[in-house]
Amino acid sequence: MLSRRSFLMLSGTLITTPTWAALSQQEAGAALYASAYSLDKNTHFFALFDDEGSISWTAPLSQRAHAPVIHPRQSIVGIVGRRPGFFMDFFDVSSNQRIKRIEPSKDHHFYGHALFSADGTQLITQENYYPTGEGKIFIRDWPSGNILQSFSSNGIGPHESVFLNDQVLVIANGGLMTHPREDRNILNLDTMQSNVTYLSLKEGRILNQATHHEALHQLSIRHLDVNQKGTVALGFQYQGDMWDQVPLVALSRLDRPELDYLPMPEDIRVRFKQYCGSVCFDKSGDILAISTPRGGLVAFWHVETKTFLGVENCRDVCGLVSTSNAHEFLLTSGTGAQLKSNPVQNTSEMIKNHTNIQWDNHFRQINIENYA
Amino acid sequence: MSYVSTLMALAIGAASPLIATAGQWEGPLNGITAEVVTQGYQAYSTSSASLAKLSVALCNAPSEQALAATQAAFKINAQDWQQLQWLNFGPVTYFMRYYAFEYWPDKKGVTQRQLRTLAQGDPSVMDAPKFWTSASIAVRGLTAIESLLYHPDFTPTQSSNHCRLLDKITAHHAQSADAVFKQWQEGKAQDWVFDEEGMGFDPEKVALEQFLQQWIEHMSAVKDAKLETPIGYNGRENLKLAEFYRSDLSLKAIQKNLQTYREIYHAGSPSLFDIAKQNDARLAEQLESLLTDNIKLALLLPDDFFNGHYTKEERFNLAQPLVKSISNSQSTLSNIVTTLGFQIGFNSRDGD
Repeated sequence: MLSRRSFLMLSGTLITTPTWAALSQQEAGAALYASAYSLDKNTHFFALFDDEGSISWTAPLSQRAHAPVIHPRQSIVGIVGRRPGFFMDFFDVSSNQRIKRIEPSKDHHFYGHALFSADGTQLITQENYYPTGEGKIFIRDWPSGNILQSFSSNGIGPHESVFLNDQVLVIANGGLMTHPREDRNILNLDTMQSNVTYLSLKEGRILNQATHHEALHQLSIRHLDVNQKGTVALGFQYQGDMWDQVPLVALSRLDRPELDYLPMPEDIRVRFKQYCGSVCFDKSGDILAISTPRGGLVAFWHVETKTFLGVENCRDVCGLVSTSNAHEFLLTSGTGAQLKSNPVQNTSEMIKNHTNIQWDNHFRQINIENYA
Repeated sequence: MSYVSTLMALAIGAASPLIATAGQWEGPLNGITAEVVTQGYQAYSTSSASLAKLSVALCNAPSEQALAATQAAFKINAQDWQQLQWLNFGPVTYFMRYYAFEYWPDKKGVTQRQLRTLAQGDPSVMDAPKFWTSASIAVRGLTAIESLLYHPDFTPTQSSNHCRLLDKITAHHAQSADAVFKQWQEGKAQDWVFDEEGMGFDPEKVALEQFLQQWIEHMSAVKDAKLETPIGYNGRENLKLAEFYRSDLSLKAIQKNLQTYREIYHAGSPSLFDIAKQNDARLAEQLESLLTDNIKLALLLPDDFFNGHYTKEERFNLAQPLVKSISNSQSTLSNIVTTLGFQIGFNSRDGD
């Protein structure tokens, strides 16, 4: 609990934090991207880089992190510790200061992802109540971090969630029961079952829940994204045998009880090695991209027709965001590459290759124009 | 001025990782490809053909002697596979051949279930041209062959159906092994990496990087799946989870894997060892010593390590030095390849 003095000091800091627009001296429409990276096993940073891949801001991290979280108004970026995560660090980009660390409550840990509400007054965290393995969704006040409300995620292992709208949260319950004392060992491999849950944040009620049939119970629904039409894309990580022929990508909707698996050529599916990294729609919402670091590629689909479009080869690629241009994605890899790819125009352009940097799993775009 | 530049260049050279030059990785890549992989597949193809031939002989004139000869051929073939098992790359990735060559660990007994179904059905289905392109990988290779030769449910000396099944599977297995060998003979490792546009792509380096990554990952498999898991090193003991336990090859397979590791390290001119030594002699020698220790420690384990009458604690104590040595080898190899400038999977080996 914060003391009154600390609270006032912190509030003062946060109130005076400039907006993204005020901070940026760049032309309208310019974008910044936030990502964690590592130099080696023990040296970790959080960074912002621009459209040309140049790093404009860095802050050291005490441990390897997973996914950034961007405040929608103030120039504040956060980074969530990787599973089992016990910290979320927030930085004021204008002052280069770490302004806040949020830790999970007793017997909980984070999953590596979090998100702000659209108005920036609330922070949503997915957590594991590890004595029972129950997945939790916490609505926290920003900037205090205090828990305002908590809901069951209605599954085990709520890894990532996205807003369908202001009132509905879509949660990827990965199904893996773990306990921090056993690192990442899966404790329920024989019984695990993942699901995607549409949760009303008003009442905590399940609006829809979709899962795999029993034969695919080891198919963990891990990452997701939503487009403007309310279509949710899901990327899986399979915990069964490498040789099993299982679907790895699906679409879901609030009004559909079944998952809609997306096709891909078998030789590409095999290259995924049963593992999807990031899931991302482009700006138009028409194109879906899924990265697989194990396969060293990003695969693309046209969503409406469920047509597989092709792949972009990039070793150890995982980070994936849409740029401000329709059909265009920016990719980052553990080899330091930053690559723009447009599967519709069939173009790709290496914007920079930081050979001494290993870009971490996920990154996010800060579109200055959106926040102005 | 030039004097200062030379001094600076010398200083940088001494302090930096090896700077990549064109063709730098040709030695180890070509050496491993030729001496370990292609030669390995040649031996594997030959022993697969011999196994198929002896299976035909067994079915033509069933006898205990013919069965023993086929079992001996199986053991040679399965050991030849151990030289290649570390590399799931290149031609073996076609048609799921890698997993078909050895469907292991078969925790759910899929192979035996499918073999029983095949044995009870019409054997002529296996003569259909497309049978093997759609057949389950569980019945296409060594795991199925071992079951037919060693599992009490199958009696190839008494049941013509069982023997016919053995004959068909060994013939298909030999064809697959030969196809992979020929592809290695005719191609090169660089043919099997995916071009990355605009990234200053060096296929030689990327191919060697794939080799090294797979080698490192195989070390984990040997330590975890082959050694620790069956003896319950970190959990419940289940010796039936040991690789090829019916044919009593579990320990010999590990020994062969560890011998192969040393061959990988020294293959080519210059070899990976030579290059590593040039870069950091202490680290290179440390790995050399660990790889040698691995072989010695595995040979020191009793022949009946997996099937003798030992308590779980006794097996744990016997295995511990080898487990530690393999683990140290893996970290040392990772350090070496990192200092040589290879990226061995920041996200792909440790994601979420």
